[in-house]
Amino acid sequence: MDFKSLWNKEGTSDIPGTKELIEKAGDLKKITRSKLIRLNLMLVATAVFIIYIGFNIDNEKLTTKIGIALITVAIVSYLAVYNQLMPLLFKSDMETSSHEYLNQLIRIKRKQDFLNKVMINVYFSLFSVGMFLYLLQFAMRGTFIGCILVYGLTFGWIGFSWFYLRPRGIKKKQLPLLNMIAKLEAVDEQLREE
Amino acid sequence: MFRICMGYVNDHDWAKDIAQETFVTIWQQLPKFRQEAAIGTWIFRIASNNCLRQIERQNRMPRTDMPEQIAEHIEPDREPQVLFLYKCIAELPEIDRLIISLELEDVKQAEIAKIVGLSETNIRVKVHRIKERLAKKFENYEH
Repeated sequence: MDFKSLWNKEGTSDIPGTKELIEKAGDLKKITRSKLIRLNLMLVATAVFIIYIGFNIDNEKLTTKIGIALITVAIVSYLAVYNQLMPLLFKSDMETSSHEYLNQLIRIKRKQDFLNKVMINVYFSLFSVGMFLYLLQFAMRGTFIGCILVYGLTFGWIGFSWFYLRPRGIKKKQLPLLNMIAKLEAVDEQLREE
Repeated sequence: MFRICMGYVNDHDWAKDIAQETFVTIWQQLPKFRQEAAIGTWIFRIASNNCLRQIERQNRMPRTDMPEQIAEHIEPDREPQVLFLYKCIAELPEIDRLIISLELEDVKQAEIAKIVGLSETNIRVKVHRIKERLAKKFENYEH
């Protein structure tokens, strides 16, 4: 059987003009960049809004300020890592051999998995503590029953976010990553020297 | 280059996408290209890695979910034997797909070894086995 001649019968596809193609790739980059800028503007606006409220309306207690600062830091660090650091950290080099390339992808996915866990933990810790401190002022202000109610709700919220939302967030990001790592490793296994 | 991608995914439009992506990568990386390797090897290397990168995408868009009529509709006219060859190749394990595609594309086995990152002896053995497997499939196909 002459596989080579059969193989060659498959026509080569017409690839559009170089200029058009490069422009298309450039457009894609622009779209990604403008999305990123919009996201960051939104985030800055949110942070400014929170800080404004904190320092102008409720400026009685230090705890409120610290709480607000922590919530802001939580949001900022989370978004900063996901939008700017991550893509930079995980750029892959396409010019290596398939074996090296696969190992590189596996390493990247592992790093991503690790960072996901760390970032989600950092985010939830900062956010929960921030929320707790922020609510403290309102709890102290009210009656005894009101105070218990606010504390109850606050602790309830922290418990809920720590024991339910946090593991769920980690799992949601982790599952596709672990699947991907398993797949990449299976392909890499094919490259074992016999 | 298109045929390599076609051998890997056996889907005309998808292969075209990978070929285009590869082309863009080559264009962007060209200033970085050093004369250490033959340009052909370098290009095939980028193409192969781009194919492997599809593992990431397979998750997002399972091709098997596509209704059959649509999948067939996209296919341009091809000889049944050619169709069968590409189908058989696309059913092989990922690395074997790349190896046999490069071999059929007349890339030297020493170069294939460098592209995928195996020894030349290993490539020779693998090519031999894959060809045997394909021949067997064709035997069954014809009878």
